[in-house]
Amino acid sequence: MNFQLKNIAAVLAATSLFVSCSNDDDNGSKVVEGAVGEAELFFDNGMAGDALDLGNAYTNSNGETVTVKKLNYIISNVVLIKEDGSSFVYPKAENYFIISEEKGQFTVHLENIPVGDYKKVKFGIGVDQQRYLEGESAQKSFWDLAYANDMTWTWSIGYRFINFEGTFAETSDHGRHEELPFQVHQGSNSATDNYREVTLDLPTTARVREKELSSIHIMSDINVLLDGDTKILLHDNLNAGGTAVSIMGGENLIKIAQNSLKMFKVDHVHNGPGSHHE
Amino acid sequence: MLSPLLFLISCDNKSDYEEVNARMDFKVPSNFPALAQEIDRNYPTERGFELGRKLFHDTRLSSDGTVSCAFCHEQASAFTHHGHAFSHGINNLEGVRNTPSIQNMAFQSQYFYDGAAVSIEMLSIAPIHNPVEMNETLENIAVKLKKDKSYVELFSQAFEDQEVSSNNILKALGQFMTMMVSANSRYDKYVRKEPGGNLSEQEKSGLELFTQKCASCHKTDMFTDSTFRNNGLPPNSKLNDLGRETVTGFASDRYKFKVPSLRNIALTAPYMHDGRFGSLQSVLNFYASGVKHSETLDPLLNANGVLGISLSADEKEALIAFFQTLTDEEYINNQLFYFKT
Ligand code: HEC
Ligand code: HEC
Repeated sequence: MNFQLKNIAAVLAATSLFVSCSNDDDNGSKVVEGAVGEAELFFDNGMAGDALDLGNAYTNSNGETVTVKKLNYIISNVVLIKEDGSSFVYPKAENYFIISEEKGQFTVHLENIPVGDYKKVKFGIGVDQQRYLEGESAQKSFWDLAYANDMTWTWSIGYRFINFEGTFAETSDHGRHEELPFQVHQGSNSATDNYREVTLDLPTTARVREKELSSIHIMSDINVLLDGDTKILLHDNLNAGGTAVSIMGGENLIKIAQNSLKMFKVDHVHNGPGSHHE
Repeated sequence: MLSPLLFLISCDNKSDYEEVNARMDFKVPSNFPALAQEIDRNYPTERGFELGRKLFHDTRLSSDGTVSCAFCHEQASAFTHHGHAFSHGINNLEGVRNTPSIQNMAFQSQYFYDGAAVSIEMLSIAPIHNPVEMNETLENIAVKLKKDKSYVELFSQAFEDQEVSSNNILKALGQFMTMMVSANSRYDKYVRKEPGGNLSEQEKSGLELFTQKCASCHKTDMFTDSTFRNNGLPPNSKLNDLGRETVTGFASDRYKFKVPSLRNIALTAPYMHDGRFGSLQSVLNFYASGVKHSETLDPLLNANGVLGISLSADEKEALIAFFQTLTDEEYINNQLFYFKT
C-alpha cells in the first residue's frame, strides 16, 4: 500500500460523501453512462391499512361489510422521474401490465432503464384512450393477456381497468341484509374516458444500477375506490330486484376514477442486486 | 450480437412479404366525408384483405362451427340478415338486435346501435364473443386456424410478424371491412354527375324532402352523423333495450340508438334496432304519426310541440322512390367480396 497523502485525502472526501448519502443509499456503486438496470413496482394490496386477503370481510366507513373475491387492475405508461425533472418513459409497446390478487401477480417488471437516481414514479390506471383508439395494430398481445385475466369487455369493446368483485352486507341503520354479490368494473367507454394517471414521490431514491434491481414497494388501498373522497354505497346501486350490484358505467365510474387517484402510496424502495419479493 | 446469417434471413423474409403482398387501392369517393378511421395503421393489402374475406366467411369463428360473419351479414342484402328481425347465431339462439348493413365502415366512428365499439379493428371482438352469436374466443380461433396449412400460409404472407394470432385475425377482418365501400348507387352517380346518374322527378322531390326533413340526423352521403338519438320508437316492452345507456350507464342515453346509414335501405328490411318494421312504408308511417314522447326524445322530432315529421301520402311515396336510388348493385354483386373456395 503506497498511498500518497493527497490521494488519501481524496479517498476520505469521497468516503464522507458516500457516508452522508447512506441515509437513502446503502452502497455507493457508480452511475455508468449508457448503462442500464432493472426496476420493479411491487403492488401490496390492502383495505384501509389492513392487508387484503381474498375471502375476508372488511367493514368500511359507509357501514358496509365488503368481502373481496377478486381484485385485478391494469397499470400502464410507467415513467421514472429524476430530481431535475428529466424522465424515462418506458417503451409504449411494453408499458401495459396486469396486477392480479388471485393469481399472485404483484409486480411490474421494468428492464433496460438508464442507470440513475429516480425520485418519482408516474403511472396510469387502465388503458389510455389514445392507445385504445389505436386499435389492434397497437395493442397486439395485450388483448389476449387482458382477456385471460378477466380484464376485457366484449359487449362494449374495451378493457376493464379495475375488476373488483365480491359480496357485501349492510351493517348500518339503512336496513340489514344478507350477503349479496357486487361487481365493480371500472373502465372507459365511448362516452367517458376514465383512465387516470398518478405521480408518486419516492421516500427513498430508486437507484437504478447495472445488474441491480431497484424495487419500489407501493401500498394500494382498495378501500378508497368506494370509500374515498367520494362515497359510493353499494346498497344504493342494487339492481331492480334487489339481488345484486353491478357498477359498470355512468357517473359511478367517474367517481371511482377520481377516488383511484388516492389509491397508491409508495411505502419504501429497496436498492441493490437481486429480486426482493420472489 | 446479431449474426450476419440471421440478418440475411430476416431480410429475405421481408422482401418475400413485400413481393407477394401489394397495397390495395383505396380511394375516398368524391362525394364522401373524410375517413373516420385511421386506415394507415392497418392499411389493406392484397393478402390481408384476402385473409379477412376468408375469415369473414369461415364458420370456425364460432364455437360449434356453424356460424360465420357472412351467415348474418349476407352480401345480397347489403350484408344484413335479410328477413330476420333478430339474428340467430349458434344453436339457433336469438339475439335482441336486428343485423345492420356493413358498408363504408371506415367512414364511421361508432359501431353497433349503442356504440359498443369505436375502432374498425376491434369491433369484431363483439360478435365473436357474444354468447348468442359466435360464442368463441380469439385465442381459440387462432388455435384452430394454426392447424390449417392454407391459413398458416396466408397469415405469413399477410403480416410482417407472420403469426396466426388474435391480433392479426382482427386486423385482417378490419382490412376486409375497410375495403367494403358502397359508393356507386344511382344517387351517388347523380350527385357526382356521372353517366347513369339520372333521377326521375319523383325521386328528385324525394331527395328534396329528405334533405329538409331527415338529413339533420341522416347526414352527409353516409346518411348518418354517427350520433346516438332517440327517434321516438315506443320501447319494446319484451326487450327493454336501453340502447346507448347499455354502454355509457347514463340515464340520459336511455333509448338512444345510433343513427343508421340508409344506403341500400331498400334491401335491408326489416328496419330499426329490433327489426319491428317490415317495410319502408311502415317506417314513414311511424315518423308521421307514431313518434312517442319520452324524456330523451330527440328535440328535432318534437319541434314546436308537434311530435314526429309531417308527411303526406305523396311525400311518403316520393321518399320511398328516393330510397330505391340508394341501392348499389355494383356493391352487392362485387366479386371482390365473395369467398370462393
Ligand atoms: C348471429 C348473427 C351475427 C353474426 C354471426 C355476426 N354479426 Fe355482425 N351484427 C349482428 C347484429 C345483430 C348487429 C347489431 C348489434 C348491435 O348493434 O348491438 C351486428 C353489427 C355488426 C357491425 C356494426 C355495423 C354498424 O353499422 O354499426 C359490424 C361491422 C359487424 N356486425 C361485423 C361482423 C363481423 C366482422 C362478424 C364476424 C366476426 C359478425 N358481424 C358476425 C349480427 C351478427
Ligand atoms: C332525430 C334524428 C332523426 C331524424 C330527424 C330522422 N331519423 Fe331516421 N332514424 C334515426 C335513428 C336514431 C334511427 C334508429 C332508431 C332505432 O333503430 O332504434 C333511425 C332509423 C331510420 C330508419 C331505419 C333504418 C334501418 O336500417 O333500420 C329509416 C328507414 C329512417 N330512419 C328514415 C328516416 C326518414 C325517412 C326520416 C325523415 C322523414 C328520418 N329517418 C328522420 C334518427 C332520425
